[in-house]
Amino acid sequence: MKNKVRELRVKHYLAQGQLAEAMGVSRQTINSIENERYTPSLPLALALARYFGVTVEEMFDDQG
Amino acid sequence: MTKGSWCGFTRSKWFLPAFSLVLGLVMLAVSWLGGDPGQGLVSLAVLAGFGLVILLAGRRSETIRGLSGEGRDERFAQIDLQASAVAGLAVIVALIVAWLVATARGQSGEPYDWLLAIAGLSYVLAVGWFRWRG
Repeated sequence: MKNKVRELRVKHYLAQGQLAEAMGVSRQTINSIENERYTPSLPLALALARYFGVTVEEMFDDQG
Repeated sequence: MTKGSWCGFTRSKWFLPAFSLVLGLVMLAVSWLGGDPGQGLVSLAVLAGFGLVILLAGRRSETIRGLSGEGRDERFAQIDLQASAVAGLAVIVALIVAWLVATARGQSGEPYDWLLAIAGLSYVLAVGWFRWRG
């Protein structure tokens, strides 16, 4: 699923490992989400959106 | 051991190596009881070696860390579920082929028939259970 995780992570000067640690997942999971190979669960999507202070709709685009 | 500490142990890097070692010891004991301790020692060596490889290689490979339980997250849980489904399907296909071959040879089809029955029944029960829960 298209998303802005990488864009927001870079904007916040975070490495994938730092974001992964904050979310309680592996670095590879963050990488897979950014590369649109893995669609996160609703709790993880909500946690990511909350972490960056955006809505889930702003972060994920299911129309893309 | 509490439920929390048990979950912590199963998700640590020690779980799969420890499980392999215990399984090897059980196989040694069973082989010993069956009068063939040599085969048990080989099994123990293979399983202990497997555990050691998992322990050492887990530092470098996410796949092996996931297999050993260390650092599993929701993505790996999904991978685990899909891999389990593939493994189950492979076993069922192998059982069907074995049952067909045994039957074609004029044999009774045991134990493949009741193993297939267990697979089918457990699948139906699991579908019912998860539908009821979900």
